[in-house]
Amino acid sequence: MMNLNKKPQASHNTDKQETLLTLSILTVAAILSFATRLFSVLRFESVIHEFDPYFNYRTTKYLAEQGFYSFHNWFDDRAWYPLGRIIGGTIYPGLMVTSAAIYHLCWLLNITIDIRNVCVFLAPLFSSLTTIITYLLTKELRNAGAGLVAAAMVAIVPGYISRSVAGSYDNEGIAIFCMLLTYYMWIRAVKTGSIFWSTLAALAYFYMVSSWGGYVFLINLIPLHVLTLMVTGRFSHRIYIAYSTLYCVGTILSMQISFVGFQPVQSSEHMLALGVFGLCQILATVDYLRSKLTQEEFEILFSALAYTLGVALTLFVGVLTFSGKISPWTGRFYSLLDPSYAKNHIPIIASVSEHQPTSWSSFYFDLQILVFLFPAGLYFCFAQLTDANIFLILYGVTSIYFAGVMVRLMLVLAPVMCILSGIAISHLLTKFMKNVDAKTANEHRRNRKLESNLVLRNEISTAFVTIVCALLVSYTFHCTWVTSEAYSSPSIVLSARSHDGGRIIFDDFREAYNWLKMNTPEDARVMSWWDYGYQITAMANRTILVDNNTWNNTHISRVGQAMASSEEKAYEIMRELDVNYVLVIFGGLTGYSSDDINKFLWMVRIGGSTDRGAHIKEWDYYSPSGEFRIDKEGSPTLLNCLMYKMCYYRFGQVYTEGGKPPGYDRVRSAEIGNKDFELDVLEEAYTTEHWLVRIYKVKDLPNRGL
Amino acid sequence: MLKLIIIAFLFTNFHTKTTNGAIINKNVERVIDLSTQLVKISSAITLENTGKDAESKYIITLEPNSIRNLSFISAKDSYKEELKVTETKNELGQVFSVKLNHPLAASRTSTINVEFVLTNSLVPYPSSIVQKDKQLVRYFGNHYFYSPYLTTKQTTSVIVNTRSIENYSKLKPVSQSDSSITYGPYNDVAALTVDPMIVHFENNAPFLSVTRLERLIEVSHWGNIAVEENIDILHTGAKLKGSFSRYDYQRDTSNNHHSIKSYKTILPAAAHSVYYRDSNGNISTSQVRARKDWIELELRPRYPLFGGWRSSYMLGYSVPSYQYLYKGVNNQYALRMRLIDNVFDDMHVEYLETSVVLPVGVTNVKLSTPYEVERLSDSIAYKYLDTKGRPIIRFAKRNLVEQHIQDLEITYEWQPLLLLHEPVLLSIALYLLFIVVIIYVRLDFSISKPEHVKTQ
Repeated sequence: MMNLNKKPQASHNTDKQETLLTLSILTVAAILSFATRLFSVLRFESVIHEFDPYFNYRTTKYLAEQGFYSFHNWFDDRAWYPLGRIIGGTIYPGLMVTSAAIYHLCWLLNITIDIRNVCVFLAPLFSSLTTIITYLLTKELRNAGAGLVAAAMVAIVPGYISRSVAGSYDNEGIAIFCMLLTYYMWIRAVKTGSIFWSTLAALAYFYMVSSWGGYVFLINLIPLHVLTLMVTGRFSHRIYIAYSTLYCVGTILSMQISFVGFQPVQSSEHMLALGVFGLCQILATVDYLRSKLTQEEFEILFSALAYTLGVALTLFVGVLTFSGKISPWTGRFYSLLDPSYAKNHIPIIASVSEHQPTSWSSFYFDLQILVFLFPAGLYFCFAQLTDANIFLILYGVTSIYFAGVMVRLMLVLAPVMCILSGIAISHLLTKFMKNVDAKTANEHRRNRKLESNLVLRNEISTAFVTIVCALLVSYTFHCTWVTSEAYSSPSIVLSARSHDGGRIIFDDFREAYNWLKMNTPEDARVMSWWDYGYQITAMANRTILVDNNTWNNTHISRVGQAMASSEEKAYEIMRELDVNYVLVIFGGLTGYSSDDINKFLWMVRIGGSTDRGAHIKEWDYYSPSGEFRIDKEGSPTLLNCLMYKMCYYRFGQVYTEGGKPPGYDRVRSAEIGNKDFELDVLEEAYTTEHWLVRIYKVKDLPNRGL
Repeated sequence: MLKLIIIAFLFTNFHTKTTNGAIINKNVERVIDLSTQLVKISSAITLENTGKDAESKYIITLEPNSIRNLSFISAKDSYKEELKVTETKNELGQVFSVKLNHPLAASRTSTINVEFVLTNSLVPYPSSIVQKDKQLVRYFGNHYFYSPYLTTKQTTSVIVNTRSIENYSKLKPVSQSDSSITYGPYNDVAALTVDPMIVHFENNAPFLSVTRLERLIEVSHWGNIAVEENIDILHTGAKLKGSFSRYDYQRDTSNNHHSIKSYKTILPAAAHSVYYRDSNGNISTSQVRARKDWIELELRPRYPLFGGWRSSYMLGYSVPSYQYLYKGVNNQYALRMRLIDNVFDDMHVEYLETSVVLPVGVTNVKLSTPYEVERLSDSIAYKYLDTKGRPIIRFAKRNLVEQHIQDLEITYEWQPLLLLHEPVLLSIALYLLFIVVIIYVRLDFSISKPEHVKTQ
């Protein structure tokens, strides 16, 4: 009796121990994932980073202050002057709604937190949640052990950190969580075949749609999974229920986001989902009919139905495409399939660095050992095929392709890399750890048996475990190093080392934006290249012509033309666009390389890409030998264009480096070619301390008679 | 100006009827300090009572055109003791009546020192200049000491602290030395006489005004008082005409420039956790230096300030409460803190709004201020986990200068037990959470087991 009672007690105890261990590992991983993203806050301050986050921050602030309805109806007259922008209908509001909800919840509990801090710490918070959801997903796909390894890995994987450090307040920060949540719900739905889980999956999908344009990947991956299951003969009622529910509920919900609108039923990116949905119904019907009819009857019915439906569908799709109801393949999507597409056709897409194809080194940089563990994980998935594993394989293979096409999509790849590597490591370690243990536990049994079938079994196992541990440790160090060195600079504040080892802070951007905010008229229009648009509206609160939401190519092109033209021509354009101030970024004094002169060729290309800019030809800006030079050898068109003059106005007198002539540009390593000139139509309004930002005022027309 | 003199004379005639002429100013020595953005006038007045009765009241006043710029007035007797000055209105308009500590007996003399601080009285002329120009200002004053009494003898010296004086009105006898102009002595000037004085000179002292200062003091009985100041500043000197050239600005290394690069703020010696930021985040260009009796903070705005340029920032720090919070009997507490604190030397604050956030549950709040302020309606703030709000005492005042840096006192009653309010609240919340989790884990709420669980 006593003995009988003892056994369940013991298993209950190990159960409890396991729960405790799981909980503590997960908690530590979640805290770690939050903490490792705080480098920039500790080094600089709690500040929003880069460009897009500033727009998100501004809209969040508006939402938190004005409420959802006025946010939804917001027409922003600060951007795209004179066109304006309908904010409510042109963004994914998930991020803003999430932050505003957290903000209001805190205030409801009388925790007086600043909306800026909510925004800054949202991405780390969500990556903590991602850690937990990764555990749940991997547990669902494999087992709890693999889940814990995957969770620990995803907590610090640089590919994900790059988009989710504190202050990097962007859609991707929460979208990865939403994506994994949807996958988790979907796997549950596939496993259980219950409407409950598939509805939850649809809700998670709705959250995903509301927060990131990358939901298109998701709505193609899940149908692909279903399709694969059909092809491999694994289609069942569970899959039917799961997918039908997800598709119907999810599509209707996703159409509630006004930016998405009718795309889920019109655009070609969503057609796979619709097609698979139809196929599901057909397959289910066929199965049902087959069970009710004889073989011959069924065959007649089948061929008749197949032909009619096929013809009807082709006609239907054809009519819709020609009448323009189904939108043609958009540029961004083409560039996914064909990496050279964008570069050849749309300069504005090609000009964004994060749309460039990924280099091999950046795979290693962002994922380190995961790159090598990934195939192993895939192998273990293949070795033990289930409905859920097939999903994981598909996710891994497709995302590695997309990550190769576009740097930005490394983000989608990172979690699946972690999951697969987690599976691999957990599987291998479990195998080998057993053998390490074998020595003590099974001492006498081993002696009784043959002297084991493998030589040095224990030693090899120990060595293997040690190597894996060393790899994991090196992974940790690599991740921390990458995070601290590469992904934790706010880019709004720059820092450099001085000769004596001290830290120099370049806070010129905020200096300039603050100057604009305090010392220009409230309704002043500022012209700058589109990169700085979001920052100017958010920090300086001034009207700008173009911003990072590059929706109007001709308008951007017009600004590009102004920058690339001579002063007189540019003045006409600036009068036409009603510009008061012009802002340029100039790194020649400090050696800041991503300044406007280095971006200038894109301005020329984009400026020349429309009809009105036909006179701007890229070749005019190259020197006779075909180089882009700013010194005396440079082309006269370049040396006299507005951008050149604004950047180098009075720079010719400045000594920048010892032993070099005045006017030596430290980025291009050359003495500038056009030194002594005066500006006729502009006057210098402000230049920041390190000359990083230069602001010019457009002069009024001269008085008559002068 | 002529009109003014006529009016002044009319007043004189009118006035002689009302004040018996018992007191006369036997000797007045006036110093007008124009070396900063403020006009500081200090006058040493020797009074004589020519009447028969003892006098205990002395009237001081200012020219009608400068009285609206008056920010601060004080009077001291010859033993440097403060005299009570009350503002009254009579037929002269706004006047100040000084109550003498000892009534002045007939045919006796006594000396008092009167100090005025005027703001907005130095007018840049020309009103806008280019970057490399010097800033010139004009002062419009009165050659004579403006008083409702007859003045027997008076001298005035004007300190400008510069050699480059463009121009000044010359009412003889007048002499110019190094950096000051001496007018007088003038004898037997009738009461309320005005004779316009103009001084046009170079003044490169910082012309900086705080257009709005919001001072928030948060008292916590946990031992900390947090102070936060939201400050809007404006360069009130000659406006910058044309372009700002960074190149010229960097080449010009002389300190004597009309633009303002940085200034010093003095904080209490116990101040810690100082922050200096604006709406876009931390301003990295500041330095904290601990002196013996105070903390000196060198603040550099994000950009140098030229005439007409604005800036705004937020400065915050904490001080331990034991230095400012006093405990009386019966849970009585008194908070004694500066009503306004130093922003920069020779500061001028156009509008001040001070709010004091008191702890939760205070009763019987009394506010006493060293000078008259405009009391704004109280409000309530909810801070971390407050269920009952904290009362905020708010008041405002216009046109302040350094001399206004004085203590306010707030007394209130408060139960120390209320300190435990938040910890108890938190403990209860956590306790409830654990209870709910325990109940949820122990009990099975499902009506029937779902299919897939059964099969497992």
